[in-house]
Amino acid sequence: MRKKAVRAVPEWLNSPLWSAPPPAPATPDPYGADLSPSSSPPPPPKPPPPPPPTVPPPSYEQAVGSSRRARGEAGWEGEDEDEDSRGAALQAHLLSDFKLALSKKVINMGELRRLACLGVPDGSAGVRPLVWKLLLGYLPTESAFWPHELEKKRSQYSAYKDEFLLNPSEKIRRFEKSKLLRKKELNSEKIGLLPRSIVTNEEHPLSFGKSSLWNQYFQESEILEQIDRDVKRTHPDMPFFSAKTNQESLRRILIIYSKLNSSVRYVQGMNEVLAPLFYVFKNDPDPSNSASAEADTFFCFVELLSGFKDNYCKHLDNSQVGIRSTLSKLSQLLKRHDKELWRHMEITTKVYPQYYAFRWITLLLTMEFTFNVCIHIWDAILGDPEGPPDTLMRICCAMLILVRRRLLAGDFTANIQLLQHYPPTNIDHLLHIANRLRGSVAS
Amino acid sequence: MVLVLALGDLHVPHRAADLPAKFKSMLVPGKIQHIICTGNLCIKEVHDYLKSLCPDLHITRGEYDEDARYPETKTLTIGLFKLGLCHGHQVVPWGDLDSLAMLQRQLDVDILVTGHTHQFKAYKHEGGVVINPGSATGAYSSITYDVNPSFVLMDIDGLRVVVYVYELIDGEVKVDKIDFKKTATMHA
Repeated sequence: MRKKAVRAVPEWLNSPLWSAPPPAPATPDPYGADLSPSSSPPPPPKPPPPPPPTVPPPSYEQAVGSSRRARGEAGWEGEDEDEDSRGAALQAHLLSDFKLALSKKVINMGELRRLACLGVPDGSAGVRPLVWKLLLGYLPTESAFWPHELEKKRSQYSAYKDEFLLNPSEKIRRFEKSKLLRKKELNSEKIGLLPRSIVTNEEHPLSFGKSSLWNQYFQESEILEQIDRDVKRTHPDMPFFSAKTNQESLRRILIIYSKLNSSVRYVQGMNEVLAPLFYVFKNDPDPSNSASAEADTFFCFVELLSGFKDNYCKHLDNSQVGIRSTLSKLSQLLKRHDKELWRHMEITTKVYPQYYAFRWITLLLTMEFTFNVCIHIWDAILGDPEGPPDTLMRICCAMLILVRRRLLAGDFTANIQLLQHYPPTNIDHLLHIANRLRGSVAS
Repeated sequence: MVLVLALGDLHVPHRAADLPAKFKSMLVPGKIQHIICTGNLCIKEVHDYLKSLCPDLHITRGEYDEDARYPETKTLTIGLFKLGLCHGHQVVPWGDLDSLAMLQRQLDVDILVTGHTHQFKAYKHEGGVVINPGSATGAYSSITYDVNPSFVLMDIDGLRVVVYVYELIDGEVKVDKIDFKKTATMHA
């Protein structure tokens, strides 16, 4: 055991539990009897759950521990049949909790967030689309207003499509259609020299005029090509994303987003952040929702990215709010919670966050875990009352702490390798640790 | 929305050194999908330059072209339109619209693009439309010395074509446009 010196690592961090790969499924009671704050530290040889040193609201901790452990998680192999049946029972229980919370006239957001952090149950019950829409603020809390809001937002999206997706020929044609006399002229044409009309405002395809539709179109064509390429590369292993219609939807959403947000336009990787959102909304069992998944996804995407927008702005890179400062916040968070690991990473092996966490943060962990696992993590990211940016930070820090043994033993190359190909891990543990780091993301 | 550049009768290097600078600055690669050239380039360098603007290049033989392998006439389909290409020195009387209309019916195309007269023209008859993009360099022709550099850019969008005419008049680029639709009266 380590001496309790100034540099002491908290007791719970030293538990063998935090070494990867995760240990065999815990045999102790999954209902979390061991998690009660008053229990003493368990003997080291067995891999039992550690007691929390500080005491966050006990019911929350117990609830998190119990339901997470019992739930079948994609990242956790080798479960007992016993565990499965208990897991299924708990899932059903959780589902009914959700349904209860969602059936109220005015949704209690605090309650919904608490439940979301436990993990939205999968399956055909399909509460996840609704939960995510509420968490992202797309739907108001009063359920009576939902049809009206949905209608409003969906028609706004149609308007955006009309405005931003036409090429210049079509736009000019629409503009001229409003002038009915042109139509008559065309039809009365018989034989003879065709009449020439002047071109106003430099509206010709080769124009370099600032206000020319054509010029803007060609300048944006580079971005459009980039979006096109990225959409085709999104999750090529999933048949859902190979479907042309879905790819078209993703494309449209990204194009409209880039036109509405000229400060950030399109950055490679936004397609990865968009993919889980669209997947969840499109697979909504309610057909009317599924049909308008594109519009709903667009607004939720805007909302989700609003917290992270500054990370994508090139010119903000070195400022107080850009990606560099976010990475240094991660560093500070690690330093606060695990000084030994921080020192090893930053000073001894010089593994700076830029090398591994850039992708974690800008892609919201979509590339570090499998698709389904990622959706579960997003439940927690979206549901946490602290908001997605801070929650993501804590989860990244937890990812580091979870593999601390291997990191401490590794040099620069080994650590980079490990972090850039993060090993499959138990999401329960990960989110549990992330929870522990609560309340300390302040700059 | 397909952009097709139509030009010809450059007569480089015999009668003109190069395209006017103002035209050259507008013609950048990446915007145009097809180029159709009526002929009389005359040398390979011009061919290479046009190829750099757009890989899809169609040329017919003019009487002064040094490359003898260009065909006399060519037809191609772009979108819903059939285009025909011919230099025009073969059609006598030169520039006569009725004779050109006969050629158009022969080639069975909606739009016939010819040159040789170095004068811009856009003419509609029952068989279709004849377009003469003029001379892109303003080279003198067999008929006249007074030639304004001009070329044509067609925007083919479904059944509708918008023809943008670019002319260099007194050192300034003037752009006009002409609209027409493919109607049922045009050849089937």
